[in-house]
Amino acid sequence: MKAKLTLRDFSLLLSLLAIGGFFALAAPQFLSARNLSMLAVELAITATLALGMLLVILPGHIDLSVGSGVGLMGGIASVLIINHGWPAGAALAASGVVALVLWLAMGALIVRQRIPAFIITLGGLLIFKGAFWLVIGSHTIPVVAGGQSNLYSLLTTFYLPPAASGVLVAVVFVGIVALNLRARRRRAALGFAVDEAEVAFLKLFLCAQGLLLFVLTVNQFRGIPLPVVILGGVALVIQVITRHTPFGRHLYAIGGNEEAAFVSGVPVPRTVIAAFTLLGGIVAVTGFMQTAYAGASTTTVGDSMELDAIAACVIGGTSLRGGRGTVLGVLFGALIMASLLNGMTLLAVAPELKFIVRGVVLTLAVWMDVKLAKR
Amino acid sequence: MPALLEARSITKRFPGVTALREVSFDLRAGEIHALCGENGAGKSTLIKLLSGLHPHGTYEGELRLDDRVAEFRSITDAQRAGIAVIYQELALVPELSIAENLFLGCEPRRGALIDWDQIWREARTLLARVGLDVAPDTPVSELGVGSQQLVEIAKALSKHARVLILDEPTAALAEREVETLLDMLRELRSRGIACIYVSHKLDEVFAVADRITVLRDGATITTLATAATTKTAVIRAMVGREITELFPRHAAHPGEVLLTVEDLSAAATRGGPAQLRNISFEVRAGEVLGLGGLMGAGRTELLMHLFGAWGVRRGGRVTLGGRPLQAASPVAALAAGLVLVSEDRKRYGLVLGESIGFNLSLSSLTRLRRGALIDEEREAHANQGLFQSLAVKAPSLETAVGTLSGGNQQKVVLGKALMTQPRVVFLDEPTRGIDVGAKVEVYALVNALTAAGKAVVLVSSELPELMGMSDRILMLHDGRIGGAFTKAEATPERLLAAAMGRTQSAA
Repeated sequence: MKAKLTLRDFSLLLSLLAIGGFFALAAPQFLSARNLSMLAVELAITATLALGMLLVILPGHIDLSVGSGVGLMGGIASVLIINHGWPAGAALAASGVVALVLWLAMGALIVRQRIPAFIITLGGLLIFKGAFWLVIGSHTIPVVAGGQSNLYSLLTTFYLPPAASGVLVAVVFVGIVALNLRARRRRAALGFAVDEAEVAFLKLFLCAQGLLLFVLTVNQFRGIPLPVVILGGVALVIQVITRHTPFGRHLYAIGGNEEAAFVSGVPVPRTVIAAFTLLGGIVAVTGFMQTAYAGASTTTVGDSMELDAIAACVIGGTSLRGGRGTVLGVLFGALIMASLLNGMTLLAVAPELKFIVRGVVLTLAVWMDVKLAKR
Repeated sequence: MPALLEARSITKRFPGVTALREVSFDLRAGEIHALCGENGAGKSTLIKLLSGLHPHGTYEGELRLDDRVAEFRSITDAQRAGIAVIYQELALVPELSIAENLFLGCEPRRGALIDWDQIWREARTLLARVGLDVAPDTPVSELGVGSQQLVEIAKALSKHARVLILDEPTAALAEREVETLLDMLRELRSRGIACIYVSHKLDEVFAVADRITVLRDGATITTLATAATTKTAVIRAMVGREITELFPRHAAHPGEVLLTVEDLSAAATRGGPAQLRNISFEVRAGEVLGLGGLMGAGRTELLMHLFGAWGVRRGGRVTLGGRPLQAASPVAALAAGLVLVSEDRKRYGLVLGESIGFNLSLSSLTRLRRGALIDEEREAHANQGLFQSLAVKAPSLETAVGTLSGGNQQKVVLGKALMTQPRVVFLDEPTRGIDVGAKVEVYALVNALTAAGKAVVLVSSELPELMGMSDRILMLHDGRIGGAFTKAEATPERLLAAAMGRTQSAA
């Protein structure tokens, strides 16, 4: 038996190539090592947040507060370091704990009080935004005192040296190949559908080419940016959670049919609360990276990032009704969003127009989601 | 007397089933005509036909109104002809006032604006006609179910209805409200309005109806004048069929008591009235306890409550295997060795978009772990085993469950339940909507379960199935136990009498 490739598998890759091709032609510096390194950092930030969002969209919820949360968590860490002289590590940890508690509380409110996630997190969006401005006193608080560096600032300024980058990519690729072969053997042994050998090889070959191209390019600049490594770690963890744990299966089951999941013995409340709590942790990590990338907590850090995260999920094939979505899809979706933003910035597109383009892309993606879901 | 509304040899087919077969029925002006029959006898289908919900052309035979052929293409057509249906679930907008509800969709106007004076005036008259002494601007949500029903009838009268169809009108009414309703109907009859009265409750039927038509298996069995018949005769006509040996129930060898329920009462919500009252029973290892009753008697609620998926406990004790069962949730029930196969497999049984394998192992994932992760090899083997032993007809375990036939979907739900390695299995209408072949496979599975020492509680609306597959039978009536029978004692007449809350002497 053979596995079929769906239209969706291609549509993402094709849109990505189209977007990349367009910007490569319109703004030649798009493909420069320096810009692609920047793009990698931007992608890492967007994608990390989107992967967290996936956790709550799978069981059919949503989180509008993550953008404000990104600002707030970064802000808390900045203020602890600059105004209170905390060591960076302690500040990040403290802020991370705050995020976990806040999202646990939102999850509990949504599940136990049966208030729609849309409302609770809309409240969160406003409250966190206000809290953020209170915390930073509506000033600009840098992540580190001038001219120095700390753990916080290194989040986006540290690059894995080229040699280490090469080794890391090689290890990752070997790991992917090994896991692929093992999964293939197992599936074949159980009589499940597997890709034809040629298709499987082609996929791995493309993957190898992509990785090689990536590492050669970033090595021309400074090596692999730390956020990409963080994204890799987050993606691996989310992939394992969603695909290989009971908790992950339960997320899909709740999104697919909550009543059936409940009667099947899925601990629905606990599962949803756990998903929101995990998202809280990811919001903190994203907040630190985004603030470090900006260099300081300013009132606009995190603005409308919730929309990019949701858009990345939807573009990547995640159903807003819940029950459908994959890590790989979300990574592609985030890459499309990040490329769009990065390319438009290079072309010096006016901010007004940037908003409009993002809106159009999001709308198109949801429209596509509805169309494809009907099939 | 000429017929006001008449159905002449009506046949109505749905894909796979013939719901009505050559059914004839006539309603005279100024009579109350009761329609009786078991669940699935065809009453609802007939009502839907008479009220235009199944439009002309979707059935064979003819409807006649005032001795002329009537071709209702929609509900509106039937309403214009003077036929109004009062449904079980009321069709009122709770936030609007009585008067607004009465004229919803046909508000009297003066120019472009609503003529509120006329609405209030006419609403008052209509409410007086149905004997409801409430201000017309009262929101419907403040009325009890009985009063809401009267508002529905007033609404029908406002549309100059000549035929009222009431479908189980007293299901949710208190005794006093039932009396008010029946008085109302007698009053309307005296003014020439005819009424079709669908009810399981023979006491009411005999109290109010002039004639009774019995449907069974989609056919008219008989029409009797109430004065010239007895409840026993009506019950016999409703049951009337042979219990065939379709049911290969093996001899039971009951073992120890696995599940005991003592004096259980439960309500749907914390403040609501108790819907299950003083229920006691026990189930032994290796036996099938049949649970019967009419629609709304509380069978599904009882199973769902014991399983932790419905309602609030008001009192009583439940033990499983000698240990108290505090099933506050399905998670706890499953951990205690109890599993439920719901009557509504699409809603409560399956994640339709996911694969067969995903669904089969869904209830057992925590037991299939190695460390924090799912042991996918073990999972696949467990899935494969059930997939084969249940003979699910599908290309592979990865086929989406939503694409399977009803019988195969049901097998997946059963497989999911089996994988939890339960001691007590609740089966709620396990053969509903599946074909005969799949039914027999389900019966074989029940035999296998009891042979393996499990206790089975089987809910069924079909008396033959209930009698054929159960070792003992419990009939529920109105949330209480209406009667308990051994296999030898159970006759269709006795079971039905118990389900209708009537004592043994009638049988």
